Amino acid sequence: MTETSITAPYYRQNEPQPGEPEKWWRFFTFSTDHKVIGIQYIVTAFVFFLVGGFLAMVMRGELITPEADLVDRTVYNALFTMHGTIMLFMWTFPVLNGLANYLVPLQIGARDMAFPRLNAVAFWMVPVFGTILMASFLVPGGPSQSGWWAYPPVSLQNPTGNLINGQFLWILAVALSGISSIMGAVNIVTTIIRMRAPGMTFFKMPVFCWTVAAAQTIQLFGLPALTAGAVMLLFDLTVGTSFFDPATGGDPVLYQHFFWFYSHPAVYVIILPVFGVFSELFPVYARKPLFGYKFVAVSSFVITGLSAIVWVHHMFASGTPSWMRMLFMATTMTISVPTGVKIFAWVATVWGGKIRLTTPMLFALGGLVNFLFAGITGIMLAAVPFDIHVNNTYFVVGHFHYVIYGAAVMGIYAAIYHWFPKMTGHMYYEGLGKLHFVLTFIGVNLNFLPMHPLGLQGMPRRVASYDPEFAYWNVIASIGAFLLGVSVLPFLLNMISSWILGDEAPANPWRAIGLEWLVASPPPHENFAEIPTVVSEPYGYGKSEPLIAQQMASTELASELS
Amino acid sequence: MSSVNLDQNLNTAATVHAADHHEEGEHRLVGFIIFLLSESVIFFSFFVGYIVYKTTTADWLPAGVEGLEVREPLINTIVLVSSSFVIYFAERYLKKENLWGFRALWLLTMAMGSFFLYGQAVEWASLSFGFTDGLYGGTFYLLTGFHGLHVLTGVLMMAVMLGRSFIPGNYEDGEVGVIATSLFWHFVDVIWIILFILIYVWQ
Amino acid sequence: MKVRVILRLLLLAAIMTPISIWVGQQAYHWMPEPASEEALLVDNLFSFLTTLGTFIFLGVAGTLLYSVLFQRAAKYDEGDGPPIEGNLTLEIVWTAIPLVLVVWIAGYSYKIYDQMGILGPMEHVHMMGEAIAAPLDAERPTEPEPIEVRARQWVWEFYYPEAGVTSTELHLPNHTRAKLTMTSEDVLHGFYVPAFRVKQDVIPGRQVDFEFTPIREGIYRLRDSEYSGTYFAAMQANVVVESTDAYRQWLNQAAAQAPQPGLNPSYAEYQVRVENRDSRPGWKTVTPAPTPMVNFPGSPDLPVPRP
Ligand code: HEA
Ligand code: HEA
Ligand code: CUA
Ligand SMILES: [Cu+2]
Repeated sequence: MTETSITAPYYRQNEPQPGEPEKWWRFFTFSTDHKVIGIQYIVTAFVFFLVGGFLAMVMRGELITPEADLVDRTVYNALFTMHGTIMLFMWTFPVLNGLANYLVPLQIGARDMAFPRLNAVAFWMVPVFGTILMASFLVPGGPSQSGWWAYPPVSLQNPTGNLINGQFLWILAVALSGISSIMGAVNIVTTIIRMRAPGMTFFKMPVFCWTVAAAQTIQLFGLPALTAGAVMLLFDLTVGTSFFDPATGGDPVLYQHFFWFYSHPAVYVIILPVFGVFSELFPVYARKPLFGYKFVAVSSFVITGLSAIVWVHHMFASGTPSWMRMLFMATTMTISVPTGVKIFAWVATVWGGKIRLTTPMLFALGGLVNFLFAGITGIMLAAVPFDIHVNNTYFVVGHFHYVIYGAAVMGIYAAIYHWFPKMTGHMYYEGLGKLHFVLTFIGVNLNFLPMHPLGLQGMPRRVASYDPEFAYWNVIASIGAFLLGVSVLPFLLNMISSWILGDEAPANPWRAIGLEWLVASPPPHENFAEIPTVVSEPYGYGKSEPLIAQQMASTELASELS
Repeated sequence: MSSVNLDQNLNTAATVHAADHHEEGEHRLVGFIIFLLSESVIFFSFFVGYIVYKTTTADWLPAGVEGLEVREPLINTIVLVSSSFVIYFAERYLKKENLWGFRALWLLTMAMGSFFLYGQAVEWASLSFGFTDGLYGGTFYLLTGFHGLHVLTGVLMMAVMLGRSFIPGNYEDGEVGVIATSLFWHFVDVIWIILFILIYVWQ
Repeated sequence: MKVRVILRLLLLAAIMTPISIWVGQQAYHWMPEPASEEALLVDNLFSFLTTLGTFIFLGVAGTLLYSVLFQRAAKYDEGDGPPIEGNLTLEIVWTAIPLVLVVWIAGYSYKIYDQMGILGPMEHVHMMGEAIAAPLDAERPTEPEPIEVRARQWVWEFYYPEAGVTSTELHLPNHTRAKLTMTSEDVLHGFYVPAFRVKQDVIPGRQVDFEFTPIREGIYRLRDSEYSGTYFAAMQANVVVESTDAYRQWLNQAAAQAPQPGLNPSYAEYQVRVENRDSRPGWKTVTPAPTPMVNFPGSPDLPVPRP
């Protein structure tokens, strides 16, 4: 063999792997295997994605006409509140935790996470707080209707007068989600610090692990601030303290600081692992090493650092003094520097390569272009005078759906397709995958591009009705949204049918470099029979160098035998 | 092909496992430290909130409240801070494998922690304002209450460790639980010092 | 070799620059006709941002597209691309370029902000108590007192202290600096007139001062921009900018009128629900504030937006 780094040393095709549990019901147990937990996370999160998406479909149905006609206003307000909350706390965070859970131990050469049981507990909290949040549809007064920011005093108004109301359950669910995420973050960061295989120095670690570490660091310093704010809000709501209630001397703007101090960095919790996915995929499908690996890796932590000092850009119109506006405008804009480093590195990676447009590659490329667009509108938003015009309009909604759906969700799809053979041992259907891509890419742009002109013309967000002048673009957006709704069908069909019927996957179908590709598909119970000793950087495409010491030994052996 | 050494690998798997076990304790400690760092941000947020409220609120003290009595809390503070030293020596005894010395000082620390909690309860009972009495009452009870919860947790953790010390051979290899508990106790202490300065000294 | 690369880049820039400038000019038409001094400045900034953004987007996306179109692996080509791992000069250059761009964008935004002369609202925000205690501004006694903007769930009310007029339609004299003091009785609201490009949250328990200068006569839409609960979407009002004479005349006329119920679409809609004339299921809502009695309710018709 010439391409030493991509041949599997422990693995003989078609031979049963030792200790491999093949029972489907293990996915419904309190398993401590990081691979089972990873898949549990991904599937659970996807169910919630469907629920959140379904709510969005109803919202777009309401918005297809100017009047508030399809649903009652209270219902519409509950819909976007729950849509935002579900999508962020129960879809993106859990699904990315799932990917990290599945991939990080494999990529760093560990048998499992540092704390397998804590891992399982953190996962099982997801269905618990998911149920709590869903239950709020059933309580009198309905779910929270204060938006996913839950700004007081609106979030403190409680027309039913009940103690157990939608807002109460909302705070409870978000707090539990925070606890679960902190557990996950402690676990993942410890795993990356402590469990790397011999020879796997930080600068031999795949970028995905770097970005996951950077993202989870944000959870560690950010979530506690949100928790603090949530605790105070809960006391205001239930026992009548006066932290945020202006009627009794409280300060509603302080809540906004608590909230955004976490929730701005949270968007990088979402996008950083997706950057990691891009960094893994472009080298494989362009068959070139990642350009400027160290720059790309380190820039993740630069983003982590900067993300902690930009939160006020969500509050430019909240009564923020000039010096603060200007300061946070400057810090916000600097984020484009480390992000630009990554973008340019990916373009340079793809440039001059031997590109294969498989489904994961298509999703990654599409996601990159959408991200570029969204990043540029992000910089526009950071410019205070302009933001004052479009703040709280559909321009912002357009900006963040481009990042969150256009880049993050598409990046997550790319990851799922790319690692699907590894996770399930089956190949997915390429044709359905491409159909899924085409529908998604068109859907995203049809749905979210029209939101920009709407915002520029002054349509506020969070409205169930609007002036007729906005109808034109809203119809287009709604059609795009329904297309996006349809786009999940080929995906679901693909995943379910190929998991059951798909061709058996070899250990390394993409001829990719990485420890996870050196073990069978799906990997055996404890991943590695022998912990590998890593000797090279992770993206040696075209270099024919061994990735791990065991391969050196085996190539030597092979050449001796021949 | 490269799969020649498959069988060998399977044999070594068992030995690698044993080595893994030894490292697990250290993982726990690293994980615990990461957790504490994260936890400290909650307190930090509350502190920031307190400072903001205190510096911007016009009528900071509720009507009829003069301020806080410092004498008893000061005694409380001294007890809590000295317990940090006691727990340090308890740990030293454990390292020297003097189990009874460890247990004695460990129990003393627990007693000092409980004394602190008792003192706090007495103080709360004597105050003329409640949780819902404006921002002053709110932040006071929030901060002291949240900290008190941590003291209680610390005492309970110590109780568990004390119990475990009676399992024969349990502490022969050193005990991460003890180190972690003592770290936690120092953490709770440092937080209290900041809290004391913010609430009682800066009036 | 080097020269060829540079020439190619220059050619690319030469193609992209006019396109970007053209798109940047288009950007002026993507927003409502500017009707305030501030709007003109914001539109310049937006055009600048669009120009630069288009350039960056075309550059990066164009390069990617070229790769995807022309650098595909041949069907049975299992080989690898050239193992280029990086290039330090290049990496430093593309760290530096965004940095320079950012300084440029931030500098320009700052300049615009400065020209708009919006003192940060905080400089104008007083706690309620202070505002009352503050001594009257003795230096400029001729200045008209600011118009009071009162926001409540879910209706806007405007009060003109000199004439003692209340209204649910905001009238402003053209080419005169509009001065508002805004208060909210319940939750956060936001004062937003898209045609003016100005927006400011109204915070309960505080008094927020706000200024801008309308420059075009016409009828515009004032929208609540900070989500405030059930009937948030209906919390809108008309803004009439008219000549100083017409404004004076309106003020005098309005002062002569007896108080009558103002415009309050959200309350009307709430009544429909209370009387069970709305069959759609919904949840309990905060009761809207009662309709204010005003001298001048204004016109319920929507302004016709100009293309
Ligand atoms: C994954 C999610 C994600 C990501 C990655 C981002 C990325 C960015 N966001 Fe976004 N944002 C959100 C999710 C996200 N955002 C959400 C959810 C909201 C709204 C929440 C709510 O209100 O409900 C929001 C809102 C939001 C606002 C508030 C608007 C308002 O409410 O008025 C602002 C303002 O500054 C902003 C800015 C930015 C910036 C500057 C970036 C930057 O990180 C972008 C950097 C990237 C690039 C710039 C492109 C690549 C760089 C180059 C090619 C280099 C050269 C480029 C230049 C020099 C310009 N965002
Ligand atoms: C990860 C984050 C995420 C994602 C993926 C999405 C996805 C979508 N969002 Fe998102 N959205 C947010 C996060 C997200 N959103 C946030 C944070 C807010 C702010 C909330 C707030 O203001 O408080 C928001 C607000 C928001 C608004 C503004 C509401 C308002 O201000 O009034 C709109 C309006 O169009 C919208 C639309 C959509 C649409 C059409 C999709 C589509 O892409 C969805 C596509 C749909 C599917 C993929 C599922 C298809 C399912 C079916 C067809 C049925 C199957 C059903 C079952 C099995 C139950 N969203
Ligand atoms: Cu009215 Cu917000
Ligand atoms: Cu942000």
